[in-house]
Amino acid sequence: MKLLVCMKQVPDMESKFQIDGNGTWYSLEDLAWRMNEYDEYSVEQAVLIKEQLGDVDVTVLSIGSDKVKETMKKALAMGCDRGVHIDDANVFTREPYEIAGIIAEFAKDKGFDVILTGMQSQDRGSGQVGLLVAEMLDIASVSTIVSCCCTSEDVEVARELEGGIKAKIKVKLPALLTCQLGLNVPRYPTLPNIMKAKKKELLTLPGEDFLQVAPRMTTEAMFIPEKKAGGIILEGDENELADKLIAILKEKTAVL
Amino acid sequence: MEASREIYWNVGHGIVTLLPMYLLAVFGLACMAIGLLKRIKVYKTGLPMNRKDQPGKRLLCTLQTALLQKRVTSPLLPGLFHGLFFWSFLILFIGTALIVLQADFTDLFWDIKFLEGSFYKLFSLVLDLAGILAVVLLIALLVRRFVILRHSINEDREQLFMHVLMLLILVTGFLIEGFRMAVTELGTPLASWSPVGLFIATIFSGAKEQSMLLLHKFTWWIHLLLVIGFIAAIPFTKFRHIVTTASNYFFKDLGPKGKLINLDLEDENKETFGAVAVTDLAWKDILDADACTTCERCQDRCPAYNTQKPLSPMQVVSQIGDAAFTKPDQNLIDKIGKDALWSCTTCGACQEICPASIEHVRKIVDLRRSLVLMEGEFPGDEVMTAMEQTEVNGNPLGMGYAGRGDWAADLEVPTLAENPEVDALYFVGCYGSFDKRNIRVAQSFVKLCKAAGIKLAILGKEEKCCGEPMRKMGNEYLYQTLAQENIELIKSYGIKHIVTTCPHCFNTLSKDYADLGLEGVAIDHYTVFLDELIAEGSLDIAADNFSCTYHDSCYLGRHNEIYEPPRSLLQHAGASLVEMERSGSEAFCCSAGGGRIMAEEKLGERINIKRAKMAADLDTGLLVSNCPFCLTMFEDGIKGAELENKLEPKDIAEILVERVKH
Repeated sequence: MKLLVCMKQVPDMESKFQIDGNGTWYSLEDLAWRMNEYDEYSVEQAVLIKEQLGDVDVTVLSIGSDKVKETMKKALAMGCDRGVHIDDANVFTREPYEIAGIIAEFAKDKGFDVILTGMQSQDRGSGQVGLLVAEMLDIASVSTIVSCCCTSEDVEVARELEGGIKAKIKVKLPALLTCQLGLNVPRYPTLPNIMKAKKKELLTLPGEDFLQVAPRMTTEAMFIPEKKAGGIILEGDENELADKLIAILKEKTAVL
Repeated sequence: MEASREIYWNVGHGIVTLLPMYLLAVFGLACMAIGLLKRIKVYKTGLPMNRKDQPGKRLLCTLQTALLQKRVTSPLLPGLFHGLFFWSFLILFIGTALIVLQADFTDLFWDIKFLEGSFYKLFSLVLDLAGILAVVLLIALLVRRFVILRHSINEDREQLFMHVLMLLILVTGFLIEGFRMAVTELGTPLASWSPVGLFIATIFSGAKEQSMLLLHKFTWWIHLLLVIGFIAAIPFTKFRHIVTTASNYFFKDLGPKGKLINLDLEDENKETFGAVAVTDLAWKDILDADACTTCERCQDRCPAYNTQKPLSPMQVVSQIGDAAFTKPDQNLIDKIGKDALWSCTTCGACQEICPASIEHVRKIVDLRRSLVLMEGEFPGDEVMTAMEQTEVNGNPLGMGYAGRGDWAADLEVPTLAENPEVDALYFVGCYGSFDKRNIRVAQSFVKLCKAAGIKLAILGKEEKCCGEPMRKMGNEYLYQTLAQENIELIKSYGIKHIVTTCPHCFNTLSKDYADLGLEGVAIDHYTVFLDELIAEGSLDIAADNFSCTYHDSCYLGRHNEIYEPPRSLLQHAGASLVEMERSGSEAFCCSAGGGRIMAEEKLGERINIKRAKMAADLDTGLLVSNCPFCLTMFEDGIKGAELENKLEPKDIAEILVERVKH
């Protein structure tokens, strides 16, 4: 059985974000990089399936500059068997359709039984890539899964719906699943696995070989929203609060 | 006639007495030797560890610690009981050895007797007094154990056996003396040199000589059998501590104090890290367990044990010993329990007080290493998150690394990248850099240095967590990764002096980083640094009287024995210092050590609340500390104990900056 996990390296959300010179993406300066949170669930799920079914080979794929290999090593340390790094320094300029195109181009003749992706990335958050890949490969896909039980024939998953409702779905393989928070608790790699990961196959392939689709969207501009006036928190006892509130209403509004 | 006595009087000098006596002695000694050798074989199941360097120093230290009972008698009570008993028993041992030396060697082969005349009188008196002191102490110790402390006789049978055996040896010894004196010495001036013997002799003064001789002979053999029994029992009972504890002094950690052993992570053949079974621990860890007398001093002081957590450092040591001698392949982590292992704050109170020089903390960290490095386990998800945050941003708080130097924005402190020509590097640490409360401390320290004319620089966004909390939590890999990056950075700037405000950074940079190649750099904690600046007149503090209590952080106090400089700083500031009962080397941890700063405290009473209450009870209104972890814990503990109106936590730097003269 063959599994593919698509993993994106994203900036830590606590970083100080600035808009880059083109005004179409964030500046890459002073950022700390990590694995997209939802992709951690994908990696964990792939390793869980491997542990459960035994004869499973897990490939982790990531698109980006050489830097993504650092994060790929974590996926390998968590238990993926091999890594495929698709070298593309301009990954940030690519829209979801192109990213999906690259992945589908790579995956089309590899016979993956299950493809796992995060339900979205923490930085772009389009939530499209996984489902587009499935469409391009003409396989079934289920988004935002929160539980997963896989056999060699099919996979039974739960999807999270609005209002806390869940739906149970059974899909014949091959299938693509996008992973949501709550699916599992990603493991902390053990030291022997970190050591082993250093020796695992990590293939770098040129991005241009896989980019066969043309973009359909362009980002016009990216900006930090204008700061609006902040709220005021009034403190004190009730009488004092009422007086303060009346004073503010008189001063700033026409209601009184 | 010269004062003396006939050795082997009444029991005979012939082969009928000597042969069985020598055979029994050989039997006793052989039992002891075999028993001890068997134990040594078990120690050897542990991993190698070099504890034989500097043998001269080790020997001297062993003799001092054992003979002067230095560790046992601190605290003085009840330590002095053991000390006095030890000294009286030592005197009796030397006395017996002298008798053996004369009777079985010098007199036997060369007709030389030295137990004569004034020396004999003194010998007789000293031994009598030592003997009676030992009897009184033994009875007192028996009463303390079984009456006052109410130990159950069933659970403490071995102790009862040991006490009673020694008591019987002493009593039969006196009886032999009394019976002999009733026949030979009563009425002579020599008798008064053996007051206890004289007392017994007087009781039997009316008895027939024949029955005295018979009783003497009988008691003599009983006494001999008891002594042989004692010697033979040494390896098989807690009597072994006479040998094992003394050996443990010899093999003790010569320092730097509390420094952990670096794991070799480069070794590609290594497949396991940390300890799961006894065989993963060092031989010294098994000897430690054998040297333990279960005196409970460690658990009496353990902050986890004293807040109803499932950790007793004594139990950990005992369980290691139990596994080593019964089931060496047993899973120690299961035996001791994960909750117990995670509860340790590595405060070092156990090791500080241990009369047997046992190293508890290293064992706990070794077992934690296995949990983290082999299983990827932590005490809670919040700890795993903190580890991951540290991997990404270089701090456990999860703040963006690029903002690490933001706290100093208005203070005109350059980064080393901007200006490497400075007097010292201020290694700020994660809490000083990111935690709002502790940023005030960092800023205070910088202002103080400015007032003293010291040019400081920071590393800014290049600095990473020193790795201490991760290391103590067992994550040696993350620690070494962080440490190596910091060390390379520090080396690249060629800096020669580093000051820290965090005792954990201080301890790590000054001790642990040496193993990874940081050399030739002077590391100071700011309290020592500022105290020196005041002493040399560079820093001028205007005393303004106030009242406070001072908390010795574990890593400045016990781990580095820096007790005076912080107090001296407070004095300069005009403090009238009220000490807590648990201060100095007996200080009670704030709860944040051992990586516990990253963990939620879910078991038992909260340690920081307990400590806040201790401070509040003194009614000074101010709890001063020297450590960002302590300050964080006290802010929290004071709120938890609802003592906000009664107690305020502050760092020494904050007190000083309010009083600095420019």
